Amino acid sequence: MDEQDWIIRELEQLFDSSRDYKQKALLKAAADLIREQKTRKEQLQGELDGTLWSPGNWRN
Amino acid sequence: MKTLVIISHPSIDESGSQQFLIQALSDRSLEQVTLHPLEKTYPDGVIDVKHEQELLKSHDRIIFQFPFYWYSSPPLLKHWQDEVLTEHFAFGYRGDKLKDKELGLVLSIGLSEKEYQTGGQEGYSISELTKPFQAVARKTGMTYLKPLSIFQYAYMSEEERMGLLIRYQQYLTLKKPDSLKPREEWIIAALKETATETLRTDHSDFIIEQVIEHIEDNRMELDELRMHIDNYHE
Repeated sequence: MDEQDWIIRELEQLFDSSRDYKQKALLKAAADLIREQKTRKEQLQGELDGTLWSPGNWRN
Repeated sequence: MKTLVIISHPSIDESGSQQFLIQALSDRSLEQVTLHPLEKTYPDGVIDVKHEQELLKSHDRIIFQFPFYWYSSPPLLKHWQDEVLTEHFAFGYRGDKLKDKELGLVLSIGLSEKEYQTGGQEGYSISELTKPFQAVARKTGMTYLKPLSIFQYAYMSEEERMGLLIRYQQYLTLKKPDSLKPREEWIIAALKETATETLRTDHSDFIIEQVIEHIEDNRMELDELRMHIDNYHE
């Protein structure tokens, strides 16, 4: 299990244990945000790979 | 930034969605936000224009929050606009008191989102139907924000409602409510303040710290990736 999976699982456990509705919403939003960051990282990594492999940049 | 939420609803106490939104605000958000229910303030419909204009002047972001009835607002909000947005205040000679403020809409809508497009049951998009509000923003020199449209609140799942609760708070308090970075900062600040007494796990403090650190690490990686990409394009 990588760190992200661990964090999300812990957040889900906190979510289940919370007795406060707004706090539950916050914990869920934190998990959603971490997933969104991961997607954004993958997109930027893809863009970087594409840039590095672009023939237009080979001369540089 | 201070936000004024002007709510117009003929029976706000009986409205599930309006009550949900009012309750959604945390103490932290309320430091920045003034809720202003029009029908409760002016049950006789007589508006204190001076007071309203002072309220507008002392806030940076103005939100009209209402159920989208017949493609417009309930009548008191229209009346409010007629009375309060006067010449020499909101427009015309020296009428620059709203200039550079922001105008946003929080709409509760009875049909689903897909009906608001050409070929859908309503035939027109929310952007088309809210043109009069966009024109008000334009004429008064305000920046019009993308609206927060809540479609079919009654049919939303609990998870969707929790998402709405956060989006609503961010819509009222964040400079750029759509961007990832400000939302990260918002979540981190809220996590730092959340009370651990309502959590039943003993190591909840530690977990919250780890979550904050993880979000911050991700942000560093994102900024680094962005920097590398920008370097290649220079």
